[in-house]
Amino acid sequence: MASPASLWLRKLRRSPLLLLILLYTAVSGGPFLWVALMSLRTTPEILASPYALPARLHLEKFADAWTRSNYGTYFWNSTVVVVTAVALLTLIGAMAAHCLARYRFRGARLVRFVILSGLILPPQLLILSLFQILLELRLYNSLTGLILVYVAGHLAMTVYILEGFFAQIPQDLFDAARLDGYSDLEIFWRIALPIGAPALFTTVTLNLIILWNEFLYAVVLLTEDDKRTLPLGIMHFMGSHQLDIGMLATGLMIAILPIILLYALFSETMIRGMTAGAVR
Amino acid sequence: MGAVAIRGLSKRYEGSAELAVKDVTLTVGDGEFMVLLGPSGCGKSSVLRMVAGLEPITSGTVAIDGRIMNDVPAKDRDIAMVFQSYALYPHMDVFTNLAFGLRRRGVPRDEIARRVESVAAKLGLSPYLKRKPHALSGGQRQRVALGRAIVRDPKVFLFDEPLSNLDAALRVSTRNELIRQQSEIGVTAIYVTHDQVEAMTMGHRICIMDKGEVIQVGAPLDVYREPANTFVAKFLGNPPMNLMQAAVVQAGTCPGLRLGAVQLPSASWPAERLRGLGGKALIGIRPEDLYEASPRPGDERVIAIPKATVLAVEPLGSETLIALSLEGVAEDIVMRGGRDMRLRAGQSATIMLDTAALHLFDPATALKIPRNGS
Amino acid sequence: MSRAKRLVGFLRGSGLSTDARRAAPANLLLFLGPALAIYLVFTIYPVLRTFWNSVHTIKPHNVEQFVGLGNFEELLTKDLVFWKAVGNTAIFAVVATIADVVGGLILALCLFARPPLVRLLRLVWFTPVLMSYVVVGVIWVWIYDYDWGLANLILRSLGLSALEQSWLGDPRTALWSVMVTHVWKWLGFNMIIFLAALHALPADVLGAAELDNCGWLAKVVHVIVPMLRPTIVNLLVLSFIGKMMVFDLVWIMTGGGPLWSTETVSTYVYKRAFDWNTFDLGYPSAIAVLWFLIILGFVILMTQLLRQRDRLEF
Repeated sequence: MASPASLWLRKLRRSPLLLLILLYTAVSGGPFLWVALMSLRTTPEILASPYALPARLHLEKFADAWTRSNYGTYFWNSTVVVVTAVALLTLIGAMAAHCLARYRFRGARLVRFVILSGLILPPQLLILSLFQILLELRLYNSLTGLILVYVAGHLAMTVYILEGFFAQIPQDLFDAARLDGYSDLEIFWRIALPIGAPALFTTVTLNLIILWNEFLYAVVLLTEDDKRTLPLGIMHFMGSHQLDIGMLATGLMIAILPIILLYALFSETMIRGMTAGAVR
Repeated sequence: MGAVAIRGLSKRYEGSAELAVKDVTLTVGDGEFMVLLGPSGCGKSSVLRMVAGLEPITSGTVAIDGRIMNDVPAKDRDIAMVFQSYALYPHMDVFTNLAFGLRRRGVPRDEIARRVESVAAKLGLSPYLKRKPHALSGGQRQRVALGRAIVRDPKVFLFDEPLSNLDAALRVSTRNELIRQQSEIGVTAIYVTHDQVEAMTMGHRICIMDKGEVIQVGAPLDVYREPANTFVAKFLGNPPMNLMQAAVVQAGTCPGLRLGAVQLPSASWPAERLRGLGGKALIGIRPEDLYEASPRPGDERVIAIPKATVLAVEPLGSETLIALSLEGVAEDIVMRGGRDMRLRAGQSATIMLDTAALHLFDPATALKIPRNGS
Repeated sequence: MSRAKRLVGFLRGSGLSTDARRAAPANLLLFLGPALAIYLVFTIYPVLRTFWNSVHTIKPHNVEQFVGLGNFEELLTKDLVFWKAVGNTAIFAVVATIADVVGGLILALCLFARPPLVRLLRLVWFTPVLMSYVVVGVIWVWIYDYDWGLANLILRSLGLSALEQSWLGDPRTALWSVMVTHVWKWLGFNMIIFLAALHALPADVLGAAELDNCGWLAKVVHVIVPMLRPTIVNLLVLSFIGKMMVFDLVWIMTGGGPLWSTETVSTYVYKRAFDWNTFDLGYPSAIAVLWFLIILGFVILMTQLLRQRDRLEF
């Protein structure tokens, strides 16, 4: 009689909805499909007919991009920076979050205020001074400098998300652990971290994506080509070789693929993570 | 004017192999208050929602006033519903909550004001018309939900466990309020609940459901006195009916019933049915049909059961519940006694059983075995 | 004595609290230290220093000269580029914010109606959010290309060749083109949040609305949107802040051109600091400070004006 499918067919008659859905799916997914296809074609092929399917899959372009166009270096730099920064961010962010969530001490409110105020600070307020500071610390144009800046810049959000989660762990667990003689550090390591694992996972994926894509700080604080992260590398390439569309497309794919991989594996977590702060 | 005819109604939810509602057929007369009673998950809410049009029908028909409603959207069915959670619009004040449906139907403003104010007065909501739901108590919100349904002047009222979120005292007074409103207004009503007290006191007829099927339909007292199977027998009545295994014995030409060490009169039931039971039967007797002393001295139908052991005595103030163990009977039973009970735990006593109130069930099918001539 | 009692005695004797809510100062330092250290050096100190810079001129080799409010004065009275940038950013912040919040709500409602393949749609529609601005920017530069870009191609195939533009090259269309791209990237984010909020709405209230003669449009207008108000306000504020600070996409797609038509406050700050013929970090710092205060002011204003007066509990 009225099965869900036939109900939906009835809705189909209200074609605006279906049309809108199809349209937006094409609009949101189409461009990536196009880039993926272009990454496998050579520039002359693309210029001849931009929207055709690849005649031959030029997989060697990826190797080319990696070596000759330096994408390999960029990828490596990005990986080093992002993995280190996320590891540091997660560790020290978790420690700070655990401390703020669990312990009462004088000045706790001040510390919390100071850290969380970072949530509203715009990057422009920081980059000019950071430029000066990194120069003075001789960390300008270095991956280390960028890592430190990344950690500082995303600490507020990480602590915000983790503190909320840690605070929900029942106090009883900690009281029991204390009575059992565990030290504070052991409590953190053996209780807070394992139980907080889902939230940690969320912040890790969140930070991975954001830092992998980060552009502004990188463009100000890195200038040498062999230090460039991937977004910078692509921009640079765009600037000097903007007509080499094929190579650019391949470079874009190299930047996109890790994200797509993470997305395919952890889409739910990523979606939850990216929206974690905004949902009240 | 608002008769509801449900025929062969079935519902399968997406992703489920089982039918949540299995071939339900039920007729609710115009102006009748029909209660759908059953445990959680028995399908009663699903039936209600299908009548409302909030849930698509898998198969079967729902007709209101003879008109088949399967493909009619909910808003055109001329029904009103009171939800368990009240479902008030949280961003609108009480007046707007009551008026919203009328406004959406293009009723003129002065007419809306008149109807809303009259219903609000009837339900004692007039002082709260400007308040929002979050500033109201549970009972007040419930009345607004009721008022919203009344003001619509529908053909059928649907109630989905409206009292279950209220505390006990409020539940009683609101229950009486509902009964009064319904009889005053005289509109057909279908009321879903799992509370048998509500069912017994409110309905003209009750429909007992279990596992998606209709088990029995009838007036509350009729269903109480003549349960169709052991499920109904145990569901209605608190404490529930005592069910005990008995043996069917051959005594001469007629089969006899033996409960433990006591012989029970078996002439009331057809002999062939008794013989066909394969030697076992289920006897049912309600706690109020067991006595310390015979209620009708001289009546042979009240027989004595000796050597009953008192397990526990629970004085409730207005009555006493006594748990007993009968000789030779596996199940423990409960008896209702008066305020002044002299029995003590551990005692051995003789209990009087009113055999006129005995029920007999077939252990294999759980169905009741009717008496001769019924 | 039980083991627990002995332990408590020991801990008390050693000065350590058995109260699990108190930690020894050394431990507190251990937990908070690294975070606070990095944060103070690379976030707090830079902020303070920017404020410091804003009232100085900073020449090469760190030659600083106090100028009081001189930078701000010049900024507000004489800097035409700044005002152009403010105008552009304001248009961007207002239009793009409304577009992507309204758009996100519409998309969420589409998915809320439970079409087939809803999970797949949700995944695909969220993808632009995950991509870096560089990827998004380069792709859309290609889409906007005059000769072979998708935009003009579609217009041509629809017979609307007259409407073909040099989307990013024409000062009249450049800002709007960048806006479209920015909205495109963020629609999925708002959609996900709205979708979660929609699923959190009490189903019975929507059922009651259906019985109250509401078709889908009436339900959206009279019931869903009012009940979603807190979420809508949150997303408007969040989106507004993001768009007021827009840099990456503009820098990648147009660099602020053509002819300052896409210049935003952030790109101007960058240019004044690193791309100007005279080197002075003080002036762009002043811009950054001023803009931060303006954003803060607007956020406070918006939340005060738009927030729910009384609780909307359900």
